[in-house]
Amino acid sequence: MAKQVDLLQGTLEMLILKAVSLGPLHGYGVLLRIQQISKDRLEILQGSLYPALYRLEHNGLLVSEWGESENKRKAKYYRLTTAGRRKLRTEAENWNRMADVIAGILQSKPEEV
Amino acid sequence: MRLWNRVQSWLRAIVGRSRIESEMDAELRFHINAFAEDLVRSGVPSEEARRRANMEFGGIERTKEECREARGVSFTETLLQDLRYGLRMLRKNPGFTLIAAFTLALGIGANTAMFSVINAVLLHPLPYPDSHQLVLTFLGDATGSSSRSSYGIVDYLATRENQKSFSHFAAIGLGQNSFTYIGAGEPQRVRGTPATGEFFAALGVQALLGSTFNPASEAPGQPREVVLSFRFWQSQFGADPFIIGRSMLLDGQPYSVVGVMPSDFHFGPRDNDEIWPLLQLGPSEVRPPYWIAPFGRLKAGVTRVQAEADLSRIAEHEQHLFPKSSYDRVSIVPMKAFLVGDSRIALFTLQGAVLLVLLIAIVNVANLQVARASTRERELAIRTALGAGRGRLIRQLLTESLVLAAIGGTAGFALAQLGVRAMLTLAPDALPRMSEVTVDSRTLLVSSIFSLLSGILFGLVPAFRGSGGGIGMGLKSTTGSGQPAARHRLLAILVVAEFSLAVILLTGAGLLARSFERLLSATPGFSPQHLITVQLALPDARYPQESQIADFYRQLLERLEALPGVQSAGISMSLPPNLLALQNPFRTPAEPIVPGKELHAAEEMTVSPGYFRTLGVPLIAGRFFVDADRARSDQILIINQTLARQYFPNQDPVGQRLQTGDADERSPWETIVGVVGDVKYQGLDAKPESTIYVPYFEKGWTSWSREMFLVLRSTSSEAALMPAVRETVWSMDKQLPIASVRTMDALLADSIAQPRFRTVLLGSFAALSLILAAAGIYGVISYSVVQRTSEFGIRIALGADLNDLLCLVLTRGAKLALLGVAIGAPAAFMLARFMSSLLFGIAPADPLTFVGVSGLLLLVALCACYIPARRASRVDPMVALHYE
Repeated sequence: MAKQVDLLQGTLEMLILKAVSLGPLHGYGVLLRIQQISKDRLEILQGSLYPALYRLEHNGLLVSEWGESENKRKAKYYRLTTAGRRKLRTEAENWNRMADVIAGILQSKPEEV
Repeated sequence: MRLWNRVQSWLRAIVGRSRIESEMDAELRFHINAFAEDLVRSGVPSEEARRRANMEFGGIERTKEECREARGVSFTETLLQDLRYGLRMLRKNPGFTLIAAFTLALGIGANTAMFSVINAVLLHPLPYPDSHQLVLTFLGDATGSSSRSSYGIVDYLATRENQKSFSHFAAIGLGQNSFTYIGAGEPQRVRGTPATGEFFAALGVQALLGSTFNPASEAPGQPREVVLSFRFWQSQFGADPFIIGRSMLLDGQPYSVVGVMPSDFHFGPRDNDEIWPLLQLGPSEVRPPYWIAPFGRLKAGVTRVQAEADLSRIAEHEQHLFPKSSYDRVSIVPMKAFLVGDSRIALFTLQGAVLLVLLIAIVNVANLQVARASTRERELAIRTALGAGRGRLIRQLLTESLVLAAIGGTAGFALAQLGVRAMLTLAPDALPRMSEVTVDSRTLLVSSIFSLLSGILFGLVPAFRGSGGGIGMGLKSTTGSGQPAARHRLLAILVVAEFSLAVILLTGAGLLARSFERLLSATPGFSPQHLITVQLALPDARYPQESQIADFYRQLLERLEALPGVQSAGISMSLPPNLLALQNPFRTPAEPIVPGKELHAAEEMTVSPGYFRTLGVPLIAGRFFVDADRARSDQILIINQTLARQYFPNQDPVGQRLQTGDADERSPWETIVGVVGDVKYQGLDAKPESTIYVPYFEKGWTSWSREMFLVLRSTSSEAALMPAVRETVWSMDKQLPIASVRTMDALLADSIAQPRFRTVLLGSFAALSLILAAAGIYGVISYSVVQRTSEFGIRIALGADLNDLLCLVLTRGAKLALLGVAIGAPAAFMLARFMSSLLFGIAPADPLTFVGVSGLLLLVALCACYIPARRASRVDPMVALHYE
């Protein structure tokens, strides 16, 4: 098992948006999908998932409706809204740009300075 | 879009709180269950799986709380929580709650009651459809020099035919407001207003039973019609459904009942036994007398200015036809403005006063709150330490204040109901439209607004004060000596504010009280004790001849004076203090007739020889009328002192001559035989006017003397005398009604009902403000004495003189009070200027009132401070030093 990394502040919401962008999910499903994509390298506090989901819904980035789960139980499914899709795109761009910058800084060699 | 989502989720959070809670619960449970199932599937025993699932999820309650916050559920939550908390705090301090709520209830109640009056009198439209179109018309002249006059027959008829401004034009007769009605029982005098054919149509009202007047019947010679009020129909005819078409005798004439009005119709006071006989007017040869009050309903789109121009054109034409008269313009006054009259200023003054009372009440509660805040400082500090933000604390304190305001407001609304009922029973005639005063939904709304505003006002002061300051400060100090200086300053400001408001109120009340006292001591010109007055009316039908009228009165007066208990008796057309029946033009020989120039007007009335003696009017010169004057063929007069002084200065008026009536060279000259003292016939607050007295038995005047006031001076009690008086009248004519039996004292009291009403009201408001201000300064000085206990202890220990300490505290109280007085005085003076039309006999800047009020406030402040001051001087140094 790969080494687990703590989630960076503020990235959980972006990850949720990404997970949901691949198809509607219930809360537990969001957790599973993030773990699956990250190959279990991210540590997510299960309880912290829900306030984030509620906040995203309150801000209109997600909508929810009740549906039936794989094992025939009632579950609340979250879906991305147009605003949520836009948000995900800009967040991802920001993140990538930031990651590039940071990586560039970290890789810099003495002669470049 | 996003905003909408937010609002939606918010609304859902507020409206469907329980649904959201259960959904959230289900969602989280689903997560844990699914996780546990996955664990079981991977081989973990089910007990263990459940335990691990719960554990790894973390605190479920904390998650829920965070979720709630995330979606904005917290607003209602917090509100409910604050409400519960506030109620608990109020219950924990019943003393504070009771005093604060009662103070507020007084303020809000008084305001609500006062507003109910304003609402009914000034704001409500008159109870007729589209009543804003109803206007009264008055004659006047271009210069505006002559006062507004009623119409005469000529003008009324001409206007009715030629006007283009009104959809309906009607009038009432001013000469008569009661009729003799002989039904089954004794003859009675009933309230009635003679009205022309379009009267009801102009008001826009329909009859409940039958119909209103047929306008065609307005011409003389047509059958006389009468419309009954609902109450009259019920009381006199037992609500007989077949009343229409029946005949009834009014003043000896048969009238046919054509209609009954609905119970809610009134013209004048509500719920009155009343009738409206049709006023029939035929063409007239002369323009005066002016005894008709016309009104009309403006056509849609016609402005008052246009209507004035239209009607002035008609008046101008009449002036042309009757050049000796002097009215060529018409002014138009909205009916409501006319009815409400000058009560507006009194009402605004009172409402302003009562708003000041509310302000003082609010300041007082704020005072209490600030003082209480010292004991709550630790509580607030702990809450801050536990993470409550400043906004959160303000919100909580404000919620608490609003709860208090709601309690006070509810109690105040109940008080207002009582207050209005009390006003209506104690002073039913104090204001026009008083009978329409009720507490309705608009009053309730205003009352709620008053409560809300006061809650916010007195809540904000302590809220901002209480939420400030560091945590450490509040937690450390155990005796509440947190920031005494700042708090003292705030309390002092509040007290100064209270006193400046109280100055305004007390000055207003003082001025009214002094005016009222002047009014009471104003001499009416006669001695009003032991006088009974009765209205008599001899109908044309049975007394067609002047001699019959004269004989009747002569015999009646003789018989009445023979009664034991009657000292003397007299009759008069008008009565003091305000029952004037007639004004008539007159001129002296020194004044030539100039066409278009109006003559002076005098109060003129017919009286019996014994009238002056009965009332106690002093003879200044010449003689009273005597019975021997009946034999004279020339005409004689008695004038009052004012007329004598004004028109016969420096000469003996006795033997001089006057012409009365309209300017006419051929009118007979009448000889003055006596001068009597001034008597007030137009209210105690009116200036004395010229008055002319004529003997009732004089030719030409006797037929004007059918309706007379009988005045009796009694030696025994008035009540014991009345049966004998009735017997005497009925022994001469069984069909005469004996109406409005009143003592002169009662007439005098009635005539000053309005000033008494506003004086009593403003006086009670001022008293209230005085009590509140006293309580306020008492609280603040007590508080400061407690705060400075140790200081006093040290001073005493060091040998300070006890009287010095007493003085120290008293001086502080006096300073606050005087500062308040100084700040309030200019505003008080402005109020005095505003209400100057309500004053009688004193100037708005009456020095005695201003000095008296300041002195009173200072005295009250010193009294209120004396108790805490004494406490300060009695401080035991040992106790005081241990205190901190």
